[in-house]
Amino acid sequence: MRKHISMTLVMVLLFSLVLSACDLLPQPETDAFRVGMVTDVGGIDDRSFNATAWRGIEMAEEELNVEGDFLESTAQPDYAPNLTHYINQDYDLIVTVGFLLADDTRDFAEANPDFNFAIVDFAYDPPVENIRGLVFATDEAAFLAGYAAAAATQTGIVATFGGINIPPVSIFMVGFEHGVNYYNEQNGANVQVLGWDTAANTGVFVGNFDSTDDGRRVADEFLSEGADIIMPVAGPVGLGSAEAVQQAGNAWIIGVDTDWTVSAPEYDAIILTSVLKNMDIAVFDTIQMAAEPGFTTFGGETYLGTLENDGVGIADVAPGTITADVEAELDQIRQAIIDGEIDTGWAAYIGGLN
Amino acid sequence: MNKEAHETDARASTEVPSDHDDAASDRNTGTEPTPRALTVHEPKPGCRSRLRTLLVPLLAIVTALIIGALVIVFTDTSVYAAFEEGFLQGIVQALVVIIRAYSAFYVGAFGDPGQILGALLSGDTTRIIRAVYPLTETLRTATPYIFAGLAVAVGFQGGLFNIGAEGQYFIAGLTTVFVGYALTGLPALIHLPLALLAGIVGGALWAAIPGYLKGKTGAHEVINTIMLNYIAFRFAEYMLDVGGPMARGDGRPVSPEIQPSAYLPRLFPGQIQVRLNAGFLLALLVAWGVWWLLFKTTIGYEIRTVGHNPRAAKYAGINVARNYVITMAISGGLAGLAASTDILGVLRFMPNAFHSGYGFDAIALALLGKSHPLGVVLASLLFGALRAGARNMQGIARVPIDITSILQGLIIVFIAAPEIIRLIYRVRQLPKGEEIDLTHGWG
Amino acid sequence: MPPVLELKGITKRFPGVLANDSIDLTLEEGQVVGLLGENGAGKSTLMNILYGLYNQDEGEIFVRGERAHIEEPNDAIALGIGMVHQHFMLVPVLTVTENVMLGMESTRRFGFLNRQVAARRIRDISDRYGLGVDPEAVIEDLPLGIQQRVEIIKLLYRSADILILDEPTAVLTPQEVSGLFEIIRSLVAQGKSVIFISHKLREVLEISNNIVVLRRGRVVGSTTPEESNERDLAAMMVGRDVILSVPKAAREPEQPVLRVENLYVRGDQDRMAVDGVTFEVWGGEIVGVAGVQGNGQTELVEVLTGLRKSDAGRVTVDGVDVTNAPPRKITEAGTAHIPEDRQRDGLVLAYPIMQNLILNTYYQPPIAKGIRIQEEPMRERAERLVNEYDVRTPSIFTPVGNLSGGNQQKVIVARELSNPVKLTIAAQPTRGLDVGSIEYIHTELVRKRDEGAAVFVVSAELDEVLSLADRILVMFEGRIMGIVPAKTATKEALGLMMAGIKSEGEATNKPDTRREA
Repeated sequence: MRKHISMTLVMVLLFSLVLSACDLLPQPETDAFRVGMVTDVGGIDDRSFNATAWRGIEMAEEELNVEGDFLESTAQPDYAPNLTHYINQDYDLIVTVGFLLADDTRDFAEANPDFNFAIVDFAYDPPVENIRGLVFATDEAAFLAGYAAAAATQTGIVATFGGINIPPVSIFMVGFEHGVNYYNEQNGANVQVLGWDTAANTGVFVGNFDSTDDGRRVADEFLSEGADIIMPVAGPVGLGSAEAVQQAGNAWIIGVDTDWTVSAPEYDAIILTSVLKNMDIAVFDTIQMAAEPGFTTFGGETYLGTLENDGVGIADVAPGTITADVEAELDQIRQAIIDGEIDTGWAAYIGGLN
Repeated sequence: MNKEAHETDARASTEVPSDHDDAASDRNTGTEPTPRALTVHEPKPGCRSRLRTLLVPLLAIVTALIIGALVIVFTDTSVYAAFEEGFLQGIVQALVVIIRAYSAFYVGAFGDPGQILGALLSGDTTRIIRAVYPLTETLRTATPYIFAGLAVAVGFQGGLFNIGAEGQYFIAGLTTVFVGYALTGLPALIHLPLALLAGIVGGALWAAIPGYLKGKTGAHEVINTIMLNYIAFRFAEYMLDVGGPMARGDGRPVSPEIQPSAYLPRLFPGQIQVRLNAGFLLALLVAWGVWWLLFKTTIGYEIRTVGHNPRAAKYAGINVARNYVITMAISGGLAGLAASTDILGVLRFMPNAFHSGYGFDAIALALLGKSHPLGVVLASLLFGALRAGARNMQGIARVPIDITSILQGLIIVFIAAPEIIRLIYRVRQLPKGEEIDLTHGWG
Repeated sequence: MPPVLELKGITKRFPGVLANDSIDLTLEEGQVVGLLGENGAGKSTLMNILYGLYNQDEGEIFVRGERAHIEEPNDAIALGIGMVHQHFMLVPVLTVTENVMLGMESTRRFGFLNRQVAARRIRDISDRYGLGVDPEAVIEDLPLGIQQRVEIIKLLYRSADILILDEPTAVLTPQEVSGLFEIIRSLVAQGKSVIFISHKLREVLEISNNIVVLRRGRVVGSTTPEESNERDLAAMMVGRDVILSVPKAAREPEQPVLRVENLYVRGDQDRMAVDGVTFEVWGGEIVGVAGVQGNGQTELVEVLTGLRKSDAGRVTVDGVDVTNAPPRKITEAGTAHIPEDRQRDGLVLAYPIMQNLILNTYYQPPIAKGIRIQEEPMRERAERLVNEYDVRTPSIFTPVGNLSGGNQQKVIVARELSNPVKLTIAAQPTRGLDVGSIEYIHTELVRKRDEGAAVFVVSAELDEVLSLADRILVMFEGRIMGIVPAKTATKEALGLMMAGIKSEGEATNKPDTRREA
């Protein structure tokens, strides 16, 4: 046994030797614009939020002289060390994803005024000089999805649910409900919405953003109550719902954040449409802006993704589910929202909260 | 040891001269020490067996690192690419990948030795801080682990399985952050202890509920702590939700920031990335306090007696029901300190929608540390190093952060099933008699 | 023909103890060897070596003349060696067949068909040796005696022909013991060989062909039942002559210490376990309770010691009302309690001896100072008590769970009787102990009596009650059938009362010397 111990000691010794040697390993030198992204606790593979933002960096890598990198956070206290990493590595732009990173991003931005930051889904008030906030009028797109869903439902019942009742989630649900209500008004219909009530600020929330089991369970409940279209606003939780809908048949899922026919093609056949929150476009836009020669600071500006600038939108509605007339109506409504003629209900809702 | 045993036995076997009379003289055995008595003044388990107790955990860690290396190699595409070029290239590339990963790991957990040395020689404070930053992150990460691990360990000592550390953490987070932001104008000397105390009380009261239910009605604490976890999560959600009573009011489900007077002082306040704070010292102090309480006081004696054998405790006149409440309250108070130090030392606000995961890691830590405060501290440092190291491994060597979970899992499996380690390394089991858990004895 | 089993020079060391010291043992085919020794003499160690649970440090084992290497139980099983442990290794919710097949199911695949085959084999075995076991019965429904037979069937099913029975009679009633002996006779008649481990002299004399006596890890004698008797064997076991009855001088009781008036206690099944009991125990006398197990003795003791609540009645100790008082108050009133189940109630097995010895005093000075437990007084006390009460242990830091039953009981006795007490309550104080320990504990109880304490002893052994007590209280269905002076009591008369037949003489609620006076 003593032999084994000495063996182990020798191994440890060798290891530490190698260790000091590998400091000599050449660090890749590059003249590219380096972008680091710190994810939320959902991780890079969430097929939603973090993944979409990362898509924007990948797009920039393809089209611009950009090198991207990401660090996954597994808990709240991970944000700061991850930010520290990119600062130590002298990155040109640091993108953080999610409002939970807002405080850390601000603290680091203020402590490192030479660095530029962008944060997805948050805008500072008052703004911070070297951070670009990227926010999205998702209510506009969700309104269209609600209208389409109301037109497509066979049972007259549609449903939505969220991860946690926070504005980046409820904004989908408010827009969706108002879209359905608008359809009812315009067509004298009575399509019901399960899982969300803007007036009461209550709805169905699973309490997390990772349990596909919860997604399945909630979807099964909605289906048994007669709903045939479900919009899950809870990241990967929605994949569980898609699974449930696929098994049940005769029902549809509305994807969120990205086009699910692309990000989750296994559910292609049951995806009615997706509410696109084009974080990739916003991130790409930000990188393009910052990588411009002579760029110094964002000056505390906020990017707002809207239907107008394609920051938000809806994917093609599955063929055969709505009539050409409805398609045309959707185009009209889209324009009306851009022109400010139709109210998605969000401003009133969020105003009532704070 | 064996020789000594021989001698002992020889002494023990010395027979009392046969005594053919009656019991009168025989009764004397009670008052007069006879050669039969064989109290050997042998100390508690010796240093050598202590070392051997550490051997299996150490080997478990080494083995986990080896398997982790294999996982890293097998998930690295560059290795496959190199193998397509040739076997030797493949092997070399595999080694390069492992070395790069684990050196990043080491540097992330303990800092770069060369850099630290250079910084120390230069005497430049900023450089030193930068060089030791990884180590500060390891200790900072270990801090809540120590508290949470101690919480579960105290429960184990008292015969209670506190799965509710997570819920106690949430409740304590609320009480601590409330005292932290709502009280203004207090000097730090009063505000900080008050905020810490709020966390202890919050966690302790929340944990005392299942303790009371167990003592009074026999309801199992595992079920009740799990259920109270859910209630705590939802309660925290309600309090912090946008528009909720404790929400900041900027459209985010987070609490206001605490007053600077409630900050746990940080090691280098000027450097925002260094978040190591007085909470770590507090953790070490509390770990010592828990050890003292458990093993040197009547309270600890009662807790452990109830934990080992509640019937004997009752027989000895210990109020078992009250003891369950006390044990749970201590356990919950410790879990609460995990939240308090996280909030007062690191985050400085409390977010909704965050799952700390401490509750479950804490169980692993208590098991790993054999429910002993020192063991828990060591296990927590290990977990802290794993986490900090894995973060750097992700940043430098592109190894997914999930490797931490794999390593943690492997270490726990190997420690829970030490036979595997003994088999691999042919470590003999401690001879019977030196191990805590002994079977029937020599009869 | 060589002996079926031969052990030569087996030596096994544990830290601080030489458990087996070059032991020789020979077992001839179709015979029973009785292995006799006190608890801690090394019997179980030797058998665990033979069964492969431990490995010997020195010595050789020969099976049917061939040198055998037994590293683990599987090796032993392959050699036809089987062991029935003191604690049965059966799954309570499974049937006999399922239990027997456990561990062997992998050798065959088709569960359903196989189970029938197995059940048939079990029935065959059962019939052949007169075991009377139903293969379909569920273990938890079976009495301990039958469960033991299932263990034996397990061995026979695996074709064992050397059977080790470790203290097989410890858990059995007298009727079950004679049943077991018939089975053993039937086994050896059909060519099996048996090692019968016990510390009960009478049993070993009755069943063995040869007797081997161990003491402190050594063989101290080999004999046969014909050449020996109980007294000789006891002397060999203990190493000196043993007093098989308790000597005690006559003593005048002083005054009542324990007073129980009209006590009613509900048992676990919600019936009255103690049904209106009134008696006194005086200082300087031993009152023994006789009665068949389950007639309220356990509940009575639990109420007297605060572990159970009474429904009505009054209990005082030396004038202090302790009715339904918590255990600590009763202890502080001057009561010592040797509990019926020492491992379950009286000890914390994982604690070292030192810490078990402070179980009732840890909160008082000198052990406690404020909330601190002081190491030095605790250690001194432990050293002193281990010496005084002759606890055989490597050190005071040894976990109590490592001690033999007798030494465990000595730890309890040391703890309880070392304090000045007015009342000692001892329930089954010698159950499962070897001769030496029994003698020792009896002596200690008598000493307490002679010091003027009231002693209340409950025992299932009528002999023990008869030899120890000054007065005997007989319980039947929760009532006192009579209280008689031990001097005049006969086994027959007590037996009748224990069966519920009241004696003509009225109950004596006071010590007899008092009544004569």
